[in-house]
Amino acid sequence: MMPKNMIQAPRLRDTIATDPEEWAALMVLAQGGDGVAYRNLLVGITPYLRAIASRAHRNPSDAEDTVQDVLLTLHAVRHTYDACRPFKPWLAGIARHRVIDRLRALGRASAKEVTLELEHEAFPAAETNETLSFEVRDLQAAIRALPPGQRQAVTLLKLREESLKEASAVSGMSVGALKVATHRGIAALRQMLHERESKR
Amino acid sequence: MTDTSDLIESLAADARPVRAIRPPLVRTAGWLALAAAILLLLVVEHGLRPDLAEQLRKPSFLAGCMASAATGVLAAVGCLLGSLPDRSCRWLLLPLPTLLVWVSTIGYGCLTNWVSMDVGALRMGEAVRCFATVLAVSVPLSIAMFAMLRHAARLSPRLVTMTAGLAVAAMTSTALSLLHQIDATVMILAWNLGAAALLVALEGALGRSVLSRLARGSSLG
Repeated sequence: MMPKNMIQAPRLRDTIATDPEEWAALMVLAQGGDGVAYRNLLVGITPYLRAIASRAHRNPSDAEDTVQDVLLTLHAVRHTYDACRPFKPWLAGIARHRVIDRLRALGRASAKEVTLELEHEAFPAAETNETLSFEVRDLQAAIRALPPGQRQAVTLLKLREESLKEASAVSGMSVGALKVATHRGIAALRQMLHERESKR
Repeated sequence: MTDTSDLIESLAADARPVRAIRPPLVRTAGWLALAAAILLLLVVEHGLRPDLAEQLRKPSFLAGCMASAATGVLAAVGCLLGSLPDRSCRWLLLPLPTLLVWVSTIGYGCLTNWVSMDVGALRMGEAVRCFATVLAVSVPLSIAMFAMLRHAARLSPRLVTMTAGLAVAAMTSTALSLLHQIDATVMILAWNLGAAALLVALEGALGRSVLSRLARGSSLG
């Protein structure tokens, strides 16, 4: 006996189906190798699958991955659909399996992995670190505002942590001049940062 | 990952004709017919056990035989129904009551009769001949059952695989009870359920790749 679904099937072939009975008719055509009907069926059921997946996953990306898993599984087991039975429970059964599988996989992943927050991220080049705090930016600006001699002394001795001897060789300044320049530079920085702080 | 609309287009382009599988009860009947045919061949080749009439008068033997046969039938129905997406997985529990009855009648059997000592030599015991019968029954039944359950690899294969292993074990044990004088139930359960558990473990260890490979051919059958 020809299944009830077959009777209306040709008329539905070229439409995007939204009704489960239309889905059943299109599935029968798809089992026969009709690519157009199959495409319309898959397009028609995708919003329904998205609704199921969205209930299970907060992350839209996980939900969409689940929808794709369901579509792939449906394709692999489409021969198990019995045209004499309703289509929607068959589809919902596949969706249930895939939703559970993805939830399990996500559970396993979250048990083994640590999510990196923004502050964990660091890059070798200073300009790529967008999350530098205001204090660091203020300090850099204050160092740039120092007179050249003091800036060089502070940079060599405090930032690069070179010895007085090394800094003297690099800068050409005497050890005594470096000590004085560093002392004055630190005092000037302290003054500038204090002024900026009081302006906020 | 691919965009969903692209995926739909590629799946639609692969819309080859597929033959819908037959209803689960028809498939169960086919599998049971295969089991009956194998048993008939073994009876013709080996003959029934000599003391069968006497054994059938014992309530424990009769209960064990009937329970194992019923477990085989119900496990086959359960796994073929429970493997379908639109049927409840509770179908997999269908053989549980008869399994309990069957397990309560289990004896030691082959576990104590693998080999027998002869004068200065080690001679194979009756267990080896009974093991050959186990292979003759369980291997073709397992192949047939797992071929019918290929699609389950893409859904939820673990419990389905175990129930299928139980169906094969129960039918093998029933055949052995009618053909051999020793009780090999423990060995058969260990053999078949062990094989099913191995498949489940493989599936767990290697992801879906192993059983999915079996399932790949199922889209045309």
